[in-house]
Formats: sequence, C-alpha cells, structure tokens
Amino acid sequence: MAMKSARNVHFWQIDNKVKNILKVNGVILLTSPQAWEKFNWTRKYFLKRPEQGYFIWVRNQIDFPLFSCISIAHKNITQKLQNLLIIEKDLKLSLQGSCNSLKKTLRGKHKASGKIILRQGSSLKYNHIHTWGEKDIVEPEYEFILGKNSKLDYTYKTLYTPQKLKINNSFNLAAGASCDIKMIANCVETETSIKDVLTLKGQGSSGVINLRLVGGKASKVLAHSQVIADSESKGHLDCQGLLIDKESNISLIPELVCKNKLAQITHEASIGRISQDQLTYLRMKGLTETQATNLIINGFLET
Amino acid sequence: MFLEIKNLKVKGNGKQILKGVNFQMEKGDVQVLLGPNASGKSTLCHTILGNPKYKVVAGKIFFQGKEITDLAPEKRVKLGIALSFQSPPVIKGVKTSQLLDKISVIKDSKLKELEQVFDKHLLERDLNLDFSGGEKKVSELVQILALNPKLVIFDEVDSGLDLKKIKNVAEIIKKELIDKKISVLLITHSGAILNFLKPNITNVMISGKIICRDKNYKKVLKIIKKYGYEKCKKCPFLAD
Repeated sequence: MAMKSARNVHFWQIDNKVKNILKVNGVILLTSPQAWEKFNWTRKYFLKRPEQGYFIWVRNQIDFPLFSCISIAHKNITQKLQNLLIIEKDLKLSLQGSCNSLKKTLRGKHKASGKIILRQGSSLKYNHIHTWGEKDIVEPEYEFILGKNSKLDYTYKTLYTPQKLKINNSFNLAAGASCDIKMIANCVETETSIKDVLTLKGQGSSGVINLRLVGGKASKVLAHSQVIADSESKGHLDCQGLLIDKESNISLIPELVCKNKLAQITHEASIGRISQDQLTYLRMKGLTETQATNLIINGFLET
Repeated sequence: MFLEIKNLKVKGNGKQILKGVNFQMEKGDVQVLLGPNASGKSTLCHTILGNPKYKVVAGKIFFQGKEITDLAPEKRVKLGIALSFQSPPVIKGVKTSQLLDKISVIKDSKLKELEQVFDKHLLERDLNLDFSGGEKKVSELVQILALNPKLVIFDEVDSGLDLKKIKNVAEIIKKELIDKKISVLLITHSGAILNFLKPNITNVMISGKIICRDKNYKKVLKIIKKYGYEKCKKCPFLAD
C-alpha cells in the first residue's frame, strides 16, 4: 500500500509504532493491548497479553472498506502482532490488509497471529496483500471462526516473498457457513510453507481452497492443505503449482478427511512447467522471454 | 529484395521438413503459398518468425537486406514481421486485452478503434480459451494490426470460417494492410480467400519445396481443383 494513501488507512503501523488509527462510526478500532485492557472478554481470544496488533470490532454496518497497513521500515525490526477482528451478526465488511517491507534488504521479522470472528449471518471480503524483502522472515498464523450462515471471501497474495515464509491458517465453519479461500504466492528465492486447514463442522457448510504457487530462483515450496468434513458438507481443494527453474521445487499435499458419510469433499492438484508453446507464441508476438514468462506467471496466479 | 529465403532446409522434431526452399517477396506484394497438408507451409512461416521448435540446418533468411536467420523471434517482430497463428495456444489467466496492451506499438486511440472489432467480452476473456474459429482469427488479426507490421504472414487465416466470415476477414486485411502497401503472405490449402485478396504471385509447396511460382492465381487454383496437387508434381515448369 502506497504511503501516499496512509491518511486513509484505518490502522497504520510502522516498525513497532502505531502511526495512526482512524475513527469510524460503528466500528471500534484499537490496538490489541488497548483492547486487552478495555474489554475483558477479548482476553479469551488472545493467546496471551498482546504487545502489538489491531483490534477491529464491527458493531454497525459501514458501507466502505477498512484498510490496515503494517510496514517494516528499518533494519532488524521484529514485529509480534496479535490481531483480532470481530464482525457482529448480519453485518458485512470489506477489509484490505497490507503487510510489507519498505525496502528489500531490511532483514525484518514479522510474526502475526490472530483470530477473525464472523458472527452469525455476517460476511467478510478480505484481501490480504504481502510484499516482502529478500531477507525477511514472515510467520502469519490466523484462525478464522465462521458462525452460522456467515460467509468469508479471503484472498492472500504475495508477489514478493521473504526469505522464509511460514503460513498457518485454520478455517472453522459452523452450520450453513461458506468460505472461498485463495492463496496466491509468487515464490522467488524463498523457503515457503503454507498450511491451511478447513474444518467443515456444521451441517450444510461449504468451502473451497484455491492454491496458486509459483516456484522460481531455487525456491522450496511446501503446501499442505487439509479439508476435514465433520458433518454433511461440501469442500474442495484446488492446488496448482508452476515451476520456473530446475533448482526450485514445489510439494503439494492435499488431504481430505471425511468423518460424515453424507459429506462431499474433493481435490485436484497439479504441478507443471511453463509451456514452451505459450512462451514461443508470446515471443512471436514481440515480447521478450522475460516479459512472456512474467505474463504467463501472472496469468497462472490469477486463474 | 524485401524478403528473401535462400535454400532453406529446416528440421522439426528431428525430421527434415523444408528441403531447400527458395522464396522472394517485394515490398507491397500479396503472395500466396498453396500446398497440401503437411507440405511444410506452416513450418516455413514459423521459421521466418524464428520459432525455436524448428532448426535451420542450411540456408539463409533476409529481411530488408538484413540476415535474420538466427535472430530471436521478438527481434524479428520488432523489425516488422508478424504472424497470424493458425492454432494459437490457450493462455489461462491472461486477458486478450492484456496482451494487446503489452504488444501494441500504435497510438492508444487507434488501439481502442481496433478493439471495436472485438465483441467486448472477448477482450476480457482468457486468451484463446474457448474461442470459436472466427474469434481466433479476429483476435490474431487485431494483434497483428496493433504491431503495425511491414510484412504479415497469415497461416490458414481462412480455415474453419464460412464464406461470409472469410469475406469479413479479407475486407479487413485489404483495408488495413494491402491498401496500405503492407506485404502479405497468405498460407492456405483451400484458396477460398484468394478471390477477395487477389495475390500477385502464387507459390505451390509440395514435400518441403516450392515447386511452382506463377502470377495467375486463378490458373493455378483451377489446375489444383481439377487435377489435385499431383498434377503440380508433374508440371514441366517446376520452379526449381
């Protein structure tokens, strides 16, 4: 997220300092330490007393998206965030979250954990964008708790991966809840592991996880996605990898666990290389090999 | 000479496909290359554009006096050579409009004008995904016009199209290219489009060689229609 638009960011943190929190009618926006002190009931959601992070509590409907931006701007910074987002019953929210390093060589550490809680009938559209430097270490760990008939549309995208990226997400769905998860990563010179666990707890719940992973410049990518059907529910995993060079490797582990005979859970997985026919076609339209490769990669990540 | 090919021998998948092709084009020429299936027509046009799938084992290609035999495909495009593919590959996730934006060398206003040729939805669809035969041809044609080329090679531009669509495509080629003195090489094995575009030179390729070169496309078409390409093989006026 460009710094120019920082004035419009509802929660803005640089390094370990909160730069700004905007007031929004109908929404309680605090730092997580403030929320811990002010609302005793939030303590059950935090793993321990939070040092940093945002607390967003949507209590009334708002008709515009919220923006959060957490950046690393200086060398050797360690961020330890605990975030909590709660959307009350039947409310809708669109959230644009950005976490990034402002330079490529800052050697920062960004550890974020949190809970995203959707009460009954609520919905969240969450675009989560990461942009990291070559030496950063990034470890997000989120639990999404979806109440009855709630709806989550979550897209995680990182086009500039850190040196090490370790993502752990879990999605727990109550009856009638649904989710559409997209995990998009252009992995370059990185060791990336992604673990997603989608648990279809309630009857009639449904969820899809789409993984699009590109491995280039000697990257090691491991993605383990799991769908667990506890009840009569529907789930699908779609895991696709694209290898760019011979030094990289991608491991995709789609896992289905069915505990109910009426559940329908499916998966598809594939890993391929860039098609020479596509590459040649684009070069014969005037693009250089690099331009053609980038266009194909971007296309793959968008499918 | 605008385009000159000398004794070109080309292999594809280890097999010799072109067996000594000689060919010339002047600026503003509209030429056609006829021939049966698997005679080497598509291999020739892909080799002119530098498709790495085809290896030149002998011979040379010159464009506007410059040898381009070993030039990268994108550099040939920059020199002004463009190819309309017979079967363009599907590229998922890449919108037709994205490719047009990337390759276009013409003014934005002109590109917008060209895009009017498209059904608006086609521009926002994945490149060549589930395109009909006609949609593929139109997509290729608009890409070519966006490149503002000097020489255009159409590989089977009329295949899979009915007569009405062939006429539509031919009208665009005439208005946007031929009338502007841009050289055009048409590859076909049916010849239906020729009545609209009236080539000034007709070539016939059989078994990897151009064996006939004639100014009268009607005469050549008539012979092929009546006797088939077998008659060409026995012609006493073989080009080589």
